[in-house]
Amino acid sequence: MTKTASSTELREQTVLDSPWVTLVWNDPVNLMSYVSYVFRSYFGFSREEADRRMLQVHNDGRAVVATGSREEMERHVEAMHDFGLWATLQKADA
Amino acid sequence: MGDAAEGGRVTPFSKTPDGNLVVGFSAVESDIVADLAAQIAGMLAPLASSSVDADPLYDLVGIGGRSTIDPDPAIARLLPDAYGDDSEAARDFRALTERSLASRKVANARVVIASLEREGSALELSPAEVQAWLRTLSDIRLTIAARLGIQSDGDEGATDSDSAVALHDLYDWLAFVTESLLDALED
Repeated sequence: MTKTASSTELREQTVLDSPWVTLVWNDPVNLMSYVSYVFRSYFGFSREEADRRMLQVHNDGRAVVATGSREEMERHVEAMHDFGLWATLQKADA
Repeated sequence: MGDAAEGGRVTPFSKTPDGNLVVGFSAVESDIVADLAAQIAGMLAPLASSSVDADPLYDLVGIGGRSTIDPDPAIARLLPDAYGDDSEAARDFRALTERSLASRKVANARVVIASLEREGSALELSPAEVQAWLRTLSDIRLTIAARLGIQSDGDEGATDSDSAVALHDLYDWLAFVTESLLDALED
């Protein structure tokens, strides 16, 4: 039989779980203008913010574009793969 | 990341009052894009349909996928691992989502092909079609880059044959098309 976790346990787990992040990695193919457009149109970033993160990807090899629950980050990664961007998720502290 | 170089090698897209994007592609240009989109659809279609060993329950709800990344570098780039630091999680996630990701890419490529098959002297794309175009153009360029061996910024890739040189020209031209779509969208 499956034990149902008490609400206290669930709450503790939510608080203690470290958040997850979505990373976008640099690639030599996608255009800078396209990556910035994807960040604006999908994440709703301002042009300045989208350009800043796009340049971070370009210069540092990767950038965090979202933080949140694992399920949310999985959705974001799938959406980035739809656009042809190279994205992964991982725990924020990893 | 890439950057479209200077040049007027593509008739730019422009925006109509109702938000569609219009361009006058030549018949040759239309054929090239339709052919490349068909190649993407053909490459990914086997991964977008249920396989014989698919979990029947997954099959029922249209999800599923294989558990390991494809050995073909182009397919591996289009359907990459979602977890970079956890191969077990990457496997589990792929088994659930690979097929639907491949299906969406095939569907986008077919939207591109259908838009090019419409009668008319100019190509007019609805906002939804523009989204399919942007994604498919990225998939096409990623595939060409994989075939040319372009792996990191500044890589020239193969230039040792006429076909490699022709592929380079195509790769650059498709960048202009993408850039032009983005410019027209922002108008």
